[in-house]
Amino acid sequence: MKASRSIRALRPVQRQSFCLAHRPTPIQNQYQSLPPATPIRRSSTNSSSANSSSANSSSTNEPPKSTVDPSEVSHFNALASSWWDPVGPSRLLHLMNPLRHTFISRCRSASPSASSTPKLRYLDVGCGGGIFAESAARLPHTASVTAIDPTPEVFKIAEAHKRRDPALTVPGKLTYINTSIEDLPLPKTPEEGYDIVSLFEVLEHVNAPGPFLEHILPHVKPGGWLVLSTIARTWTSWMVTNVMAEDVLRIVPKGTHDWGKYVNEEELRSWFKGKDGWGEMRTQGVMYVPGLGWKEVGGSEGWGNYFFAVRRAEA
Amino acid sequence: MPPRIPLTAHRAVSTPAVRFQIRLRRSFASTSPNAPEIYDVVCVGGGPAGLSLLAGLKASPVTNGLKVALIEGQDLQKNRLRKDAGLDSFSNRCSSLTPASVKNLQEIGAWRHANASRIQPYQEMQVWDGVSDARISFDWDTARSLGPRKPIQPTTIAYMIENMNTVSALLGRLEELGGVDIFSSTKVDSIELGTDTQQLDLSSWPILSLSNGKSLAARLLVGADGANSPVRTFAGISSRGFDYSRHGVVATLKLSGPGWDGPDHKTAYQRFLPSGPIAMLPMPGNFATLVWSTTPERAAKLKSLSPTDFVAMVNAGFRLSPTDLKYLHTLPSGQEEEIAWREKHTTVNERSLPVRVTDVQAGSAASFPLRMRHADTYTGERVALVGDAAHTIHPLAGQGLNQGQGDAAALVRTISHAVRTGQDIGSTLALESYNSERYAENNAMLGVCDKLHRLYSVESGPIVGLRSLGLRAVDALGPLKGFFMNRAAGGV
Repeated sequence: MKASRSIRALRPVQRQSFCLAHRPTPIQNQYQSLPPATPIRRSSTNSSSANSSSANSSSTNEPPKSTVDPSEVSHFNALASSWWDPVGPSRLLHLMNPLRHTFISRCRSASPSASSTPKLRYLDVGCGGGIFAESAARLPHTASVTAIDPTPEVFKIAEAHKRRDPALTVPGKLTYINTSIEDLPLPKTPEEGYDIVSLFEVLEHVNAPGPFLEHILPHVKPGGWLVLSTIARTWTSWMVTNVMAEDVLRIVPKGTHDWGKYVNEEELRSWFKGKDGWGEMRTQGVMYVPGLGWKEVGGSEGWGNYFFAVRRAEA
Repeated sequence: MPPRIPLTAHRAVSTPAVRFQIRLRRSFASTSPNAPEIYDVVCVGGGPAGLSLLAGLKASPVTNGLKVALIEGQDLQKNRLRKDAGLDSFSNRCSSLTPASVKNLQEIGAWRHANASRIQPYQEMQVWDGVSDARISFDWDTARSLGPRKPIQPTTIAYMIENMNTVSALLGRLEELGGVDIFSSTKVDSIELGTDTQQLDLSSWPILSLSNGKSLAARLLVGADGANSPVRTFAGISSRGFDYSRHGVVATLKLSGPGWDGPDHKTAYQRFLPSGPIAMLPMPGNFATLVWSTTPERAAKLKSLSPTDFVAMVNAGFRLSPTDLKYLHTLPSGQEEEIAWREKHTTVNERSLPVRVTDVQAGSAASFPLRMRHADTYTGERVALVGDAAHTIHPLAGQGLNQGQGDAAALVRTISHAVRTGQDIGSTLALESYNSERYAENNAMLGVCDKLHRLYSVESGPIVGLRSLGLRAVDALGPLKGFFMNRAAGGV
């Protein structure tokens, strides 16, 4: 939570998916940017480049460790379409998605909001290819979903995939905006905020979670929830995402994960405790068990992947 | 270089490349100028499995908002039981519904629409080896679990019901629920993948062109369209198996009485003969239904016999030796006399056999070829298979219709979970749990029935001794028997 590390809470470094940190492999998400023609860069250990904005933080200023091969372009394009491949690199994300809804329903039913409209409005920050945004838009009690991601490539993927489902092309149902949270207009009044603001698998790529969250908070309407998922910064997650994935199994390039950026659940709690107007908090640890899928594991928020939700106090 | 996550290697398995090459007949039908009407679920086939699926979807508050259609080539009303149907005649197409299937039909609200007077529960099952006479009897009293029998435990092994009655019950329930667009007496002319227009990309959606000129786009296309499933062909899913070179002879039989233990305790009988099992299953009153698996030649012979000779052959099938039966099938006619003479020289314990057949219902003797088939998978992108489209089983354990009901219930659960979590119900990801739940279970059942068939085809040698030993051992072991009965009852 070192706000001093970056004015913009954006991480320019490409990261890879593996078990605990499972953003789809080839496609940069909201807080990493990499044009498709650029080979994935080995992230440098020094994070000074983190100061650059998402728009210009591509690795072009990096020493060309890998030669740019024209076949990389097509290769990358081919992989880009794999965001929605059920057995592709984002499989773990797809499998996790139903649990997100279970967690949100549980949060909402635990403390029903008096001011909440019967149909919910969602804002999905860092929507990527739209796995969560699409599913939220299909729920019967959803009024609308606004989903943002600053990366043009994933925005295109999300838009293209949306056209495959007539239920989503209903005007106003699901709106993708190619923007960062900073550039998203703030609601005119708090009541015009969203019932649910989601931030799934994004926080661990952010250099300064505090300032980043500050940008998001005004979009949550009083009585609404900010819901996120991320990974705890513990020796287990270091072991799995850094040592196993990168050094032992080598399915993720060395240096992909910046374990130092992982955020612990108690850090989030203490941060929100100091926030006026933010009350109830809920946590659920989840674990991927090969052969069984994602399972809720009580207490695992202390050492692995977890969901976290915090509710904005009613006006 | 982006890392190549090994998971991508599996892609080839789940994406049938042949899909795009397979086109059903008459592709011109898809050039209809009208945009297809969009449905969440289109079910092809109005048999027990498809109807159960639709009733299950409409009966649940989670899924009843889905827009669903049913397409059936035949006239659905023709398949219905007549309201004034008397108890003096029964259809020859009956099934033994397990308590699990009945429970599901109750849960979806269809069971109370069935004509109860035409359903016959049975409490006992007698199975024996036609070569060695080794016997096993199944009833819940001897099949104890390791403790005393609890009063709430069931006494019914299964329920004999005409397929028509099951179908009528499901149709009755669907009418009550409403909300299903039913296209009866309507054929599917073609199934093709949709196109990508500026507004909408339906390139992964099956588009069905119907004989009535309509065109439907299916988020999820369900193949409940039988063993030669056109939906399965469209999806490029192979179905493997073989013909048993056996036919099942069915008939509605009239007996000399309701059975040895009266109308309240009925027994199903099955005798394993080397040519295949002969089974007599109780129906209400003095009726029973016959399922005799035998060679195609013998099946043809049986069907050609006069009613009196046919009746005598059925009685002989439960009483005389395989050698006698073999000879009797070679006679052009006169089986009745020949059997009467041979029975005098065969000692049997009549109490252990079904009561005698006195008549066969006119026109009820029929036969159909037996096959075993199992689709490679039950799901593809925007496709799911249920019932015979997914698997065809040897009828000796009476599991075919029950498997279809189990498929339908499982697919309802899968769709329901997908709806609750906002998944696209046609995506392979959402359908995964259906395939993994049902495939293994059906495969095990198919395997067991197939092995039993092979085991009892042997006429002599050590196998006969071993299988008899096995049957007697299971009979003596209450808990083991209970395990088998639970499996047969659908795990209730």
